[in-house]
Amino acid sequence: MKALLTSSVLFFALSAGVAQAKDTFTISWWGYNGEKLNANIIEPFKAMCDCDIEFETGNNADRLNKLVVRKGEGIDVIFLTDSYSQIGVEKNIFQKVDRAKVPNIEKLYDLAQAPQGEYGPAYSIGRVSIVYDADKVAPITSWNDLWREDLANSVTLPGITTTAGPMMVLRGAAHAGVDAYTDTDGAFAAIEEMKPNIVKNYNTGSEMVNLISTGEASVAVAQDFTFASLTAAVPSMVNATLTDGDIATLNTINIPTGAKHVDLAHKFINFVLSTEVQTIEAKQGVDAPVNKDVVLTPEEAAIWTYGPEAISSLNRVDYGKLNAAKVDWIDRWNEIFGS
Amino acid sequence: MTFRQPGWLLVLPATLAVAMFLGIPVFDTFSTTFTDSTGFLSNYEKFFASRFRRAVLWRTTEIALITMIASLLIGFATAYVVSRAPKKLKSLLIIIAVFPLLTGVVVRSFAWLVILGKNGILNQILLSVGVIAEPLSMLYTEGAVIVAMVYLFVPLMILTIVGVLEGIPEDLLQASASLGATPFATFWQVVFPLAMPGLIVGAVLVFTGSFTSYATPQLLGGEQQMMMGTFLRQRAMVTFDWTGASTIAAIMTVVTIIIVLAMGRVARRLNPAAV
Amino acid sequence: MLTRPHPVLIGFACLVFFFLLAPLVIIIGASVSDTSFLTFPPQGLTLHWYENIFEVSAFKRTMVTSFILAVTGTSLSLIVGIPAAYALNRYRVQLPSFLSTVFVLPILVPEIVLGFSLMKTVTTAMGFPIFVSLVIGHALLVLPYCVRVVSAALSSFDFSIEEAAVSLGCPRWKAFFIIVLPNVRAGVIAAFILALITSINDVSISLFLTGPGISTLPIQLLAHMEQFFDPTIASVSVLLMLVTVGVMAVVELTLGLTFLTK
Repeated sequence: MKALLTSSVLFFALSAGVAQAKDTFTISWWGYNGEKLNANIIEPFKAMCDCDIEFETGNNADRLNKLVVRKGEGIDVIFLTDSYSQIGVEKNIFQKVDRAKVPNIEKLYDLAQAPQGEYGPAYSIGRVSIVYDADKVAPITSWNDLWREDLANSVTLPGITTTAGPMMVLRGAAHAGVDAYTDTDGAFAAIEEMKPNIVKNYNTGSEMVNLISTGEASVAVAQDFTFASLTAAVPSMVNATLTDGDIATLNTINIPTGAKHVDLAHKFINFVLSTEVQTIEAKQGVDAPVNKDVVLTPEEAAIWTYGPEAISSLNRVDYGKLNAAKVDWIDRWNEIFGS
Repeated sequence: MTFRQPGWLLVLPATLAVAMFLGIPVFDTFSTTFTDSTGFLSNYEKFFASRFRRAVLWRTTEIALITMIASLLIGFATAYVVSRAPKKLKSLLIIIAVFPLLTGVVVRSFAWLVILGKNGILNQILLSVGVIAEPLSMLYTEGAVIVAMVYLFVPLMILTIVGVLEGIPEDLLQASASLGATPFATFWQVVFPLAMPGLIVGAVLVFTGSFTSYATPQLLGGEQQMMMGTFLRQRAMVTFDWTGASTIAAIMTVVTIIIVLAMGRVARRLNPAAV
Repeated sequence: MLTRPHPVLIGFACLVFFFLLAPLVIIIGASVSDTSFLTFPPQGLTLHWYENIFEVSAFKRTMVTSFILAVTGTSLSLIVGIPAAYALNRYRVQLPSFLSTVFVLPILVPEIVLGFSLMKTVTTAMGFPIFVSLVIGHALLVLPYCVRVVSAALSSFDFSIEEAAVSLGCPRWKAFFIIVLPNVRAGVIAAFILALITSINDVSISLFLTGPGISTLPIQLLAHMEQFFDPTIASVSVLLMLVTVGVMAVVELTLGLTFLTK
């Protein structure tokens, strides 16, 4: 008992704040591929800035929520998927990024330079498309194929709460030939039509991989970063070439309003966008590059959305409109799948 | 040396802790459900007006009650057997019973994914024995959630009940037997009433745990079996609608309190000493 | 003289134990499977997933944090909880009956809301440092176990023994430690175990109270799971199971396996 009390007192003392010699730069990101990111980005940046670096990790929703509760304070730089950074912009917790301090932005593809106005740029790009088991399913060439009768009870869609979820509503609208924002009923009628084909909707990338690898589902709407795990689990998985195009997702990097080290933050962003960092991250399979100067071999490029043609063929999402409609869409989605 | 009002002094630290670190923060959050709205009760009206939301509430209550009852029966029977075991075996059995608790909610729910899946073990066994011709689709059903939850909470129930059964003095049972009572009578009239506090504690813990559960319904139920816990998280984390989430939380808390109070009342009738 | 329970009951209990252990066996099996996803029976054997645990530095760091947090939080909770449980039983007449419900409140409020409220008030408004907030959150989380489980054990305690000791001249506080506590040992230990486990496995409260530089093991596990549904989670669990076996072994050597029973 005594030992416990002493050690807990010690801990309070320690945590109450030990004086630090260097500045601490705080980054908020997902925390995946920690070792690679550490070697490629963190260690070099520490040398550049002569500072200590601390992390807050978690998924998009958790980190953004905490940042909002803290009113934008406590973090210097935050990595988010574009749908979430749009929410951050709308909640006024980001500050504008001074493009003069981030010259590497010039080297990016157009769609990455200013995806959300004056706020953070995109540092990586991905896409949402359809993957299927070529051994079990006849070839898929369009989003409309999801409604095919031979796919009964074999499709898994991203849940409405995931990044790609609301995009399904947009595709439903396209299938019905309506605009999802003006004719929401039509869009959801199309989704309801697809219901017999759906096994379960997934909420995390890994859940989807599990559904595919155990055979519960043989068709999935997935983001490209899961493709490697999918083919490892089921070698006959194929990425559909869609005539109506894949959907783009951008990962952005932003500076919260309460950031303590604004200049360092700009430097950091510039570093992440630099050709060296973008190249090595791509080659090691961490993130797809948005820097036009990055050169990859065909094998390296195979898993990414790479090159001007691939990027320009992507469908873009208007997150301003989408976020406004999302609450209503979530309720409707719940009505269809949850009751 | 006698204290003045010793009872109050002893409960004071814990009560203050709860008041300051739970009472104030949660009150603050719940009060937003009344203020951040178009009318005083409008958030609640909106909740009960929706067919979907009512279905979620009903489903959650149903699952929690079934889990509680199943865990009670299974847990009590097992705890009884364990408490009657010879000393060394008893400790071993308790350790085995507690073991599953240590692996974490997520992983244990996982194991059920492996067992109940289309290519899972249960289907493999049933297919090879010839009971079924096609794999059964057992996942993402209410049954799957219940089974996994019972699995989660039975160890908890066993541990709580054993703790109480151990406290029943051996002489009471011997006296009862020596006065001519059958083992069943001894059980029903001596052991059961004395074990009541433990049963209630266990029942409350299991009911509230399963009612507010998140990880298990999320993994094994998915969107088709949405429960209050998963729904709350969706409101809070995806739509950033903390007022809506707090409304759900307030309703969950009220329902749980009602059921707990009801259980306390039932218990008091069966054993006046039950807390 | 222990009355042997009916054979049917014994058989039932055996079934229950099988039901409890089988999934654990599956987890162990899945942890050595040479596949990138969880499956049983394992296809191909490998210890790769165990190596992976140590390669993910987040797991190592947070294991220590989680453990310290659990011990600190549980101890704090027991320190305020046991007197409360004692008072609820001993002074039942003088104290209002709703008081016992007060201590169950942390379970009644959904964890995610509790975590969020704590973050808003304790960390942000009151300004407590992160680790302290975490300890407070966890102590609060396990308080119901510490109070109610101990209280249940105390309810079958015969307080007249204590009264006898006091009337023979033993100071009240001493009587508590040498007469009351030992007799409810099983309850206190049960409460301690339940509280420790709850704290170690907690996600929802920790989620909000963690911050830059501090995180807990279950959160890291879930985060890992969100991207990799691979057997690493299974191997971490097996590791935790082994640690538990170790702890139990130590307990046996020092207190003897009969510590849980009279």
